[in-house]
Amino acid sequence: MTQAELLQRRIDAYLAELRRCLGELPPEEVHDILQEIRGHILERTEASGELTEERLVSILKALGRPEEIAPLYQVDSVVAKARTSLSPRIVMRGIQRWSVVSGWGLVLFVLGIVGYATGGSLMLSALAKIISPDRIGAWVGGGHFSIGTVSDPGSRDVLGWWLVPLGLAVGALIVFATTRLLGWTLRFARIRRPTRAPVAA
Amino acid sequence: MVSRDEADPPDNWERQIKKGWLELAILASLRTEELYGLEILRRLEEATDLVVAEGTVYPILSRLKAEGLVETKWVEGDAGHPRKYYWLTSAGRSRATAMARYASGFLGSISQIIAPLLAKEKK
Repeated sequence: MTQAELLQRRIDAYLAELRRCLGELPPEEVHDILQEIRGHILERTEASGELTEERLVSILKALGRPEEIAPLYQVDSVVAKARTSLSPRIVMRGIQRWSVVSGWGLVLFVLGIVGYATGGSLMLSALAKIISPDRIGAWVGGGHFSIGTVSDPGSRDVLGWWLVPLGLAVGALIVFATTRLLGWTLRFARIRRPTRAPVAA
Repeated sequence: MVSRDEADPPDNWERQIKKGWLELAILASLRTEELYGLEILRRLEEATDLVVAEGTVYPILSRLKAEGLVETKWVEGDAGHPRKYYWLTSAGRSRATAMARYASGFLGSISQIIAPLLAKEKK
């Protein structure tokens, strides 16, 4: 294999990696992006006179790593990061960013708060049961069901100590499910700031 | 230098500051003419040191297009490969002017705040 072929192969590998990282975008957009970046690399290499491997490496380095560039195309990187994160904080930050530009984001933001609050309070109740077993429970009475402190003196604690493992497990499950659901819905978030009427001059 | 610098990668805060200015600089470079990506990049590199990684300019251009601030066309020239040209739409022009106004007011006020830091350094 000649030197030129080797370098061409290197460019192709860079573009292939970029294509892989761009995965979620519509194909025609991916095509445009690759064509533009390819043009950039070719033109930079042409401008550099005789192309050496060293030269090409520095051109690609100046461009940046594909896995760093690709998320910038997809969305704001906050949202890109939130898509795969298991941390409620990072996911909620992504959702919050989305909610600034989209009504759907706002709905999901509220949903996220409800989900985390439900899961969190279940887990808290489970822990509180250990500290204060008589006051905390899963109460049934007067046609109501509530978890936490007794509201109606006639109610009966239906779970007893089972509240501890069940509360922790179900609470954690709800928190996890909320995180995954929000992360998954963020796949549909293409952050595009609305084209607002320009600020009056 | 503040001690925070030691915890962060040294270029992190610098990147954050540059990121915000880059968009304005890109819009400004398209003020009078149609340019393709690498031309914009070259102008930015000549006049500023805003560009950290060259590859970040293209996603910004793509977002500006999505926002309707720039328009694009592919041109098959003598380069042997097509070039994507960008130009400002009227919305882009207004946005650039509004951003420039805001930025210049902002620069005035921030320079007052940071002046004591620089004065201290001179001593």
